[in-house]
Amino acid sequence: MSDGSRGREVADAPEERRDPPNRLLDLLERRALTGLAAATVAILVLVFYYPVGTVVVESVLVDGAVTLGVFADLLRDPFYFGELARLFAGESPLAVARSLLSPDRRLGIVGFTAYQAALSTIASVALGLPAAYLLARFEFPGRRTLRSLTIVPFVLPSIMVAVGYVATFGRNGTLNAVLGAVGLGPVELMFTLEAIVIAHAFYNAPLVARVTTAAWEAVDAGAVETARSLGAGPVRAFLHVVAPQVYPAVLVGAALTFVFTFGTFPIVLALGGFELATVEVFVYRLARDLNYAEAAALAVVELVISLSVLGAYLRYEARHTVTSRGVRPLPRRPLLPSAPTARELLPRLGLGVYGVVAAIVFLAPIASMVLASVTGGDGGLTLEHYRFLLERQRTGATFQVRPWPAVRNSLVFAAASALVALPMGVVVAVITTREYRGRKLVDAVAMAPFAVSGILVGLGLLRGLVFGVEVAGWRIAVAGSAAIVAAHAVAGYPFVVRTVAPGLESLDRSLVESARALGASRARVLRDVELPLVWPGVVAGAAFAVAISMGEFTATVVLATGADAYTMPIAIERFIGRRLGPATAMGVVLLVVTGVSFVVIERLGGEYDGI
Amino acid sequence: MGSEGDSPTRGLDSDPDADAPVAVELEGVGKRYDGTVAVEDVDLRIREGEFFTLVGPSGCGKTTTLRLIAGFEEPTEGRIHFGGRDVSGVPPEARNVGVVFQNYALFPHMTVGENVGYGLRFADPPGGVGREERVRDLLELVDLPGTANRDPESLSGGQQQRVAMARALAPGPDLLLLDEPMSALDARLRERLRLQVREIQRELGITTVYVTHDQEEALSVSDRVAVMRGGTPEQVAPPRSVYRRPASRFVAEFVGDNNVFEGVVVAGDGGGDTGIGTDSTARTVPVDVGGETLRVAVDGQEIVDGTPSPGDRVTFCVRPQHLRVGRADNGLRAEVESAEFLGETTRVHLGWGGRELVVRTEDPLDGTVLVGFAPEDAHVIETTFDE
Repeated sequence: MSDGSRGREVADAPEERRDPPNRLLDLLERRALTGLAAATVAILVLVFYYPVGTVVVESVLVDGAVTLGVFADLLRDPFYFGELARLFAGESPLAVARSLLSPDRRLGIVGFTAYQAALSTIASVALGLPAAYLLARFEFPGRRTLRSLTIVPFVLPSIMVAVGYVATFGRNGTLNAVLGAVGLGPVELMFTLEAIVIAHAFYNAPLVARVTTAAWEAVDAGAVETARSLGAGPVRAFLHVVAPQVYPAVLVGAALTFVFTFGTFPIVLALGGFELATVEVFVYRLARDLNYAEAAALAVVELVISLSVLGAYLRYEARHTVTSRGVRPLPRRPLLPSAPTARELLPRLGLGVYGVVAAIVFLAPIASMVLASVTGGDGGLTLEHYRFLLERQRTGATFQVRPWPAVRNSLVFAAASALVALPMGVVVAVITTREYRGRKLVDAVAMAPFAVSGILVGLGLLRGLVFGVEVAGWRIAVAGSAAIVAAHAVAGYPFVVRTVAPGLESLDRSLVESARALGASRARVLRDVELPLVWPGVVAGAAFAVAISMGEFTATVVLATGADAYTMPIAIERFIGRRLGPATAMGVVLLVVTGVSFVVIERLGGEYDGI
Repeated sequence: MGSEGDSPTRGLDSDPDADAPVAVELEGVGKRYDGTVAVEDVDLRIREGEFFTLVGPSGCGKTTTLRLIAGFEEPTEGRIHFGGRDVSGVPPEARNVGVVFQNYALFPHMTVGENVGYGLRFADPPGGVGREERVRDLLELVDLPGTANRDPESLSGGQQQRVAMARALAPGPDLLLLDEPMSALDARLRERLRLQVREIQRELGITTVYVTHDQEEALSVSDRVAVMRGGTPEQVAPPRSVYRRPASRFVAEFVGDNNVFEGVVVAGDGGGDTGIGTDSTARTVPVDVGGETLRVAVDGQEIVDGTPSPGDRVTFCVRPQHLRVGRADNGLRAEVESAEFLGETTRVHLGWGGRELVVRTEDPLDGTVLVGFAPEDAHVIETTFDE
């Protein structure tokens, strides 16, 4: 256009100047985001929606006819729904309510699953809130380190935690050893609800603590000071200003905890056995007994419950997300009391008591596991379990699980699934942080793997892709390792979304627009501007993806049918059936490998928003 | 209402560039978000090399208009042409525009030099110079030589804004878009920087669209100004025209202080005739405003369809500096309500029959004062002819 201006020289230059290969690159670059999005959708469909879909279809198809009969039977079966089944069978709600209130009520499998999830949620919130209070309001050496450590339980493989708890609370565990030393009789905590709830709290209390701490730190000190200057005392200022800003985060943490513990599998399998079976365990058992229709129907019931809780969570999160930029956080108090007054001492005393409880819940299982791995049958220190691992590695038969292939497989799968999960997560984060109609739906569809049980996906994968699918005369089958990597990537990528999206969301839109006005395509802006600025979140997402893959048990146990695709958690499960010793030794190996990978990767990044 | 091109040619409004080539044309452009209208019926022709300003209160659609030109948003109605080429669907990176935002939007992970050079990754520097040389030239142009290796955050707000300007100009854009670029700066710096921006614009001769809510800023730098309200330009004209001959009551009151009167033309006090009389040099009409009869010049006004006659409603305005205290002729009595000392002058607010008037004086006033104006200092905004 402007003939007189200096801009003339470049006005139409890009088209003229670029030679053909560059043009192709240009095109690829322009379409890069679209291509990645398409690949993400393809992977999601292939290893998540299609398998889940086959299971759903299987639950309503009996001998080729569509029927809800399986569901109807399921809903009326007191074995699954307890007293509620009578309600579905048409009994009066009053009678059912009366039975539910009576002491010998039957909950059924689904009822028990919800019950233990609710108890676990309460325990996790109770254990998480004091930690949030400590981390958000007090200053002490090592606070930041402790804050980053709160993520560790969350990424620890559940099978390893289960081993840790067996080592702690089992008949010959640390707890009974300590009790025996002080002359108290042995307690039996294994295969009790308490053990399951405590183990769930181990996992989810840190999650509650993290989201709550973040919300607490986002409270502007100015708001509290305003309340104080208007006449509110410290307690009222807390109730009126701080609490309303913090409690949405607590609810979010609670909702996630409920979803996670509702779909719990390895912990209950190891700590509860089939006596205290949850839905997930029963789906596994039904599938193992080749009762696919009932397994599928039960899995669908579980799915519906999980998805409704997750849906409520997403809606809530969308409404209450606090994007805090430039707030002045509440000043932290030193942990050492400044004066011996009740107001100074009481909170710190409470935190001290909490510290002891937290140490037992969080440190005991790990410490016990490490201890058990070096304790022989006679109670003395020994390295025999590690020697057993070495021995097995050297002489193990091909059908036996050997330690090194397990470690190697875990590392390879983790690296591969992180490589797949990262672009998936970044693309979904980009797509879900833009404003458009239907964004919430996309968010929900993309985040569903968070809530859907691994058994359900594993079952679907097994019945569908692993056995092979006939599409237009072509037989498509995804073999063991590839299926495992894809399943791990699908399990891990929501964490990438959750660590990357908050950073993208808080990026100034004009940065992106400036870059585009300067000639960068959308994909180029992502590469040059957005990703470098949210890099810590990307790295954290990678660390999560690796840790999730290393600890993933449920889908892997279904898919690792061959002798060559087992991972460390599978190895632990195989060993646990034999004796605890080798399993604990393997658990320590898993702990070290996971811990080192996670810390090394996370150290590459920096502070990030999000989980 | 005054949109472009309806100006009769008289001394003040003469527009020597009226036939200049058009760089950007907006034709019936509208933008709706979920039913709410951001801009509507925007017709603008921005000329090549011109410094064109969109001014208006917040929510008037000026920033949306700029974003539509930049390609960050697509219009829901109408078309946008760059030099005759329809740019619908052309993404921002292909429009060859430079954009400067209020918050600078410098890439925090790049040095000043990398920021300025970012656009040169996608286009060769104009004039056949090397990239580094271009970056150096631009930093010199904005008076920040030797800062290429600095971290943008280590610069002051004004300096960051100049880096943003250099970055936008580096690839040699056809069009420079500035979105409230001074709003985050303090008043004194703002005045200095806007002069600098104007100088650079003149030197490069680049077509510039500038968005601001500050009418004083708009008047001081622009070749032409579009005063926007409710998503539509109310008047498009050179600054002097907008100031002296506002096309609507809104423009009259938005651009600078003003006293707007509404009244009905009455028969002249001289007896019997149409009421048109001569006061000093210009023909005038007497207008009854709240019981006071004020004379307003009708010569030199842009009154369509002839001269107002008795019974017609007239809206006119008189700038505070033209409302002279102590002038008994063509005046009225008002009560002093409050005064603001502004340094060079004092702005005095007067109450008169429930209306508010503003005058400028050197000394504070008290009690009841007489204020009046010369009929030719009144500008007729609108006439509603009596049927």
